[in-house]
Amino acid sequence: MAQRLDLLDPAEVARLGGIEIVAEGVVEGYLAGLHRSPFRGFSVEFTEHRAYQAGDELKYLDWRILGRSDRLFVKQFEEETNLRSMILVDASRSMAWQGAPERLTKRAYADRLAAALALILLRQRDATGLVTFDDQVRQVIPARVKTGQWTRIVRGLLDTPDGQGTAADAALQRLTALLARRGMVVLISDLLFDRELALAALRYLRHRGHQVVVFHLMDPAEVELSGPPEVRFKDPESAVSVVVRPRELARAYADTVRREIAAWRKACRRHGIAYHHVQTDMPFGLALRLLT
Amino acid sequence: MSFIHPLALLGLAAAAIPALLHLLQRRIPPEFDFPPVRYLSAAERESARRLKLRHLLLLILRTALIVAIVLAAARPLVPLRGGGAHQPTAAVFVLDNSPSSGAIVDGGLVLDRLRVVARASLGRTTPADRVWLMLCDGVLRGGTREALLATIDSTRPGWLRLDLVQAVERAARIVNAQPLVGHEVHVLSDLQRTALVSGHADVPAGVRVLALAPGRGAPNRGIATVTVSEGAAVVELSGSLLGSGGTPQPVPVTIRIGAGRRDRGEVTARGLATAGSGRAGGAIRSAVTVSLPAQSLAPGWWLGEAALEPDELRADDQRPFAWRVAPPARVMATPGAGSFVAAALAVLQEGRRVVEGREVVISGGELPTTPHAILQPPADPALVGQANRALASRGVPWRWGQLGTPGALASAELPVLNGVPVVRRYRIEGAASGEQGGGDVPATVNGEPWLVRSAGIVLLGSRLDTTWTALPAAPGFVPFVDALVNRIVMGEAEVAAAEGAPRVEFRTRGTDTIGATVFGPDPRESDLTPATIALVTTALGGKDRTAVLGADRFAAEGFSGTRRADASGILLLLALLLAAAELGVATRTR
Repeated sequence: MAQRLDLLDPAEVARLGGIEIVAEGVVEGYLAGLHRSPFRGFSVEFTEHRAYQAGDELKYLDWRILGRSDRLFVKQFEEETNLRSMILVDASRSMAWQGAPERLTKRAYADRLAAALALILLRQRDATGLVTFDDQVRQVIPARVKTGQWTRIVRGLLDTPDGQGTAADAALQRLTALLARRGMVVLISDLLFDRELALAALRYLRHRGHQVVVFHLMDPAEVELSGPPEVRFKDPESAVSVVVRPRELARAYADTVRREIAAWRKACRRHGIAYHHVQTDMPFGLALRLLT
Repeated sequence: MSFIHPLALLGLAAAAIPALLHLLQRRIPPEFDFPPVRYLSAAERESARRLKLRHLLLLILRTALIVAIVLAAARPLVPLRGGGAHQPTAAVFVLDNSPSSGAIVDGGLVLDRLRVVARASLGRTTPADRVWLMLCDGVLRGGTREALLATIDSTRPGWLRLDLVQAVERAARIVNAQPLVGHEVHVLSDLQRTALVSGHADVPAGVRVLALAPGRGAPNRGIATVTVSEGAAVVELSGSLLGSGGTPQPVPVTIRIGAGRRDRGEVTARGLATAGSGRAGGAIRSAVTVSLPAQSLAPGWWLGEAALEPDELRADDQRPFAWRVAPPARVMATPGAGSFVAAALAVLQEGRRVVEGREVVISGGELPTTPHAILQPPADPALVGQANRALASRGVPWRWGQLGTPGALASAELPVLNGVPVVRRYRIEGAASGEQGGGDVPATVNGEPWLVRSAGIVLLGSRLDTTWTALPAAPGFVPFVDALVNRIVMGEAEVAAAEGAPRVEFRTRGTDTIGATVFGPDPRESDLTPATIALVTTALGGKDRTAVLGADRFAAEGFSGTRRADASGILLLLALLLAAAELGVATRTR
């Protein structure tokens, strides 16, 4: 039976090679299983007229209306390019964690998922860019569709080291300035930051007309608490630690995680944001399919 | 509560192990990175109360589990009330079948009431118990329960008095010596007051005394003693006046003598007795003297019977007695004996109480060679020394001493002497040390011997002359001389009294009958007055050890002190439940 890389265990796929190979393999398998493209660009198409204002380019002036009614109107058009997509990858220290050696770290999973997603978008001739951030924006690769863009994106991922703490709200606010034109924003993060602040930034993006997609990455060990009878767990970002007995707290912890996921999902839905919970043992193909 | 293995209780110290482990095993836990610590903190905040409660519950459960296991190992014995098997017990059932148990009270035999309770109590024993039965004879009868039940069924009112204080003390010592868990003495008695006045039973700690509460008392009269002397039978009565309003009523007494002797016929005499001045607390002390036709009785042993009219207790309504009618003594008086003695002997000869002969010699100081002699002190004080030497040579341990002070005669054996004044007398002293010599002293003056007897020799402290004593002029002089020559100097046939079924047994030496023993119930058995609860409690061991119970509670309370269950099974079950609870609490929150 043929092995499709997009449906294999992410860790096994990662062992096949670097991000490029993995992403290409995943995308090949993924596209082979699709019946239609999940994303659609925009054609060059007239949409409406509006009154001329000082400073408007004269080439968009509608001379016919001027001739008939002696009034100045300019023509407005839809975006001439394909979809503009920005992939935001959380590179904070918490993302560099794996619950078990045989699994990928969240960051490794996010890199590969971002690379695959970028490849798909670029093959559709959609302009795709990358932003990596931790407590500040680390890499910004503007959205392009030209040749070599994917390589740049992959290099941008590889060149972004594991960071410190997470300040997603600050990174997202800065991103809004970079994304002047509407497009699609894909946030890949473990969302271990203040939900309200992050949501405020995402809402703003959404308000600017962006299509926002959130991939909430979690290691399976973060969903089900386990460990020795008594252990001190330390937050790698804030150095906050707690001593717990995992067996005692497992149920309450699982409930808390469920509530947190539900809260994110509910908040995102309320603001028209697509939310997807992805565990790092989920095959990449299934994670990409969540976008369809 | 007691423990079979009390040393195991030392293991209770292990109950501190969970707390100590909690305190001492606070090691530094391993540290791991875990990004979603914020979720952990939230979960811990929400579960803090539940976790604290769980930890406390686990600590309590584990401590209780250890305590339960240690207690179970110590095998605690928990006292039980009501049903259930009792621990092996040593028990003595004192069934008082003394004569008083034959009384009819409330239409039933007292012994039957005691027997029913005894059967019920004995029926609760188990093969693991050691049981004895003590009856009024004081003999401890061991055996199986069935054997003792059969003995109880066959028990009839006996003739021996049971001193309950001594019986309980002895029974308590015996059960206490047994290596069993329980030690009990069950007292089934009518609890006569007279049976409990001999002190307090020393009951060892750990011995329970259960006494059946006394029933109702009943008025009763019984014949205490019958003595025959100087031609009359003195019948002493005993008993109580309970229920009769305390008013003494004349009691007809019937004396029958010679019954069964065809050659002599039956003589019956009657008299009335009323309560005497010595009555105390409802008890009767009275006596009646019935004259006997002594002149017509032939010499030899005579049997008689004194009888009262039937009442609640029949055992003491009749009492046999025996006495010996001696043949007339052959008496001779020396000239020194005096005229009063000669006159009295003449009267006695006339009445065929004495005959002339040399079997008994009454002298005025000189010691005759006859086996029986009655010696007055010499009229001449100068001869006293010679007379004393003669007495000493005959081995008589008495001698006449200095003149004594005047006084009145006193004698229990010769009532006719009582109160007769003596104006002159010699002190009669022991020959060796100046103290009293051997033999007995039938009469005294001022507490000093006046009439002494040793072997066949009788010494008088005064001459039988009116210048020495008023006795020769007293009405009792002739009876005194009669008793002196026929009874005092010749010696009397001893009639002893003993407890037992009413009968007379003679003692013989060769072909001669030398005495008799008259058997009958103890006079104290006639007093049916029950003791108070307080007296019973005090006499039979004290409040801590003695319980006086009614018939309805007696069987139920029997062995209750030893009715203890080994609670180790329950504790082990509890330990299992605790372990299950601990497991549940420990796993449910995982």
